[in-house]
Amino acid sequence: MQTVNIAVITRDTILAVGLKHLIRNMFGIKATIIPSVADNLPTEYANTDLFITDSEGFATNPEFFIPRRNRTMVIAATCNCNDSKGMLLDRHADETTIISRLTEAIDQVCDTLGTGNELSQREIDVLAQVASGYTNKEIADNLSISVNTVLTHRKNITAKLGIKSVSGLSVYAMMNGYISSVPDSTKSNI
Amino acid sequence: MALVTPETKLCDVILDEPSAITVINRFGISLGVGDKNVRTICAQKGIDINFFLTILNAYIYESFFPENGFDSFGAQEIIEYLEKTNQSYLKYQLPNIERHFKALIGHSDKNNNLPLLLNLYKEVKEEIIKRIDNDNKHWFAEILRHEKDVAPGQLTIEASDTQRTADSIEDKLSDLKNMFVIHLRGDYDRNLCQAVLFAIINFEKDIRQNNRIRNHILYPLAVALKKASSTNN
Repeated sequence: MQTVNIAVITRDTILAVGLKHLIRNMFGIKATIIPSVADNLPTEYANTDLFITDSEGFATNPEFFIPRRNRTMVIAATCNCNDSKGMLLDRHADETTIISRLTEAIDQVCDTLGTGNELSQREIDVLAQVASGYTNKEIADNLSISVNTVLTHRKNITAKLGIKSVSGLSVYAMMNGYISSVPDSTKSNI
Repeated sequence: MALVTPETKLCDVILDEPSAITVINRFGISLGVGDKNVRTICAQKGIDINFFLTILNAYIYESFFPENGFDSFGAQEIIEYLEKTNQSYLKYQLPNIERHFKALIGHSDKNNNLPLLLNLYKEVKEEIIKRIDNDNKHWFAEILRHEKDVAPGQLTIEASDTQRTADSIEDKLSDLKNMFVIHLRGDYDRNLCQAVLFAIINFEKDIRQNNRIRNHILYPLAVALKKASSTNN
């Protein structure tokens, strides 16, 4: 599994330890336990992808959690939150429900992070030019970048897609709508 | 599996590495090999056992590389094998992939990515046909001509300095495989898709191993023969 940073923020140690081990065993992710929400949280934990806290933790530091509510899961002490679509976890729910809510939350975080293999917009620009049959020099001129930068982009595109040949890149670009047809010039450029 | 030796049973080789069937076929051995070992089968079929073992081990083990082991084989022998390989590409492997591909497209009518992949395949096919044509008309003939001019023992084969790692046929086959595995979208007939993918994966391996023989064995031999031949003349 990819690297996901999870912080469990609560003074309830037994809850924190339980969650930490559950997350490690079920998802292979090492969660960090933070006993209380201190003032230094925003900078120190800026890279955290998912915060799990209890209602006390949330109430103590709403100005920290509210801007990060999309990646904050709150463990509620009361029931009646089964229907909630928000990131709420009923601490009295049965084991299956708790695990499935955690799974959803972690999946959602992973989706946001992506696989790390998506092309950046600049790489898509370069790909479309390569697929259209332009040479590295022409691509550099067209996009106002250096030939070295074009080469770096091409290397990254190949690494991300697993496609090396110009013909293969053209087919990929067509499959994804980056170009509308493969020009004949591509064939002489292979 | 350990390296294939004269005592290895051929059936065990095939059972362990089914893709080796294509290589074994090129030596005129068909399935139904019984439980005979390599030595017996080669003797019955009149096959040079050292050459057979070298080709077979080079095919099965990508790391097995007889840099010196091929010195004892003549260009004629290697070319005969490569000609059989080329023939099996033209007669069986290339048409087989295309047939499966067309059936896949025929059974996956909502998928418009597959025809694009077929085009890429056709491009690879054209390139292979062109290379085979060049082998037959120029490269092989030239090597054999030079071999006639050179007396045995006159040859100094230098290790190939041109690694020729970038091979556009290999690259495109690898791209095609990755297109299926990583990037395929939409609906398709799964059974036929597997057949196409397996055929491509086997073919890619065959081409890769074949390129090793061409680039690391025949190419340096050809260079040495040309050099020796021009000294004679």
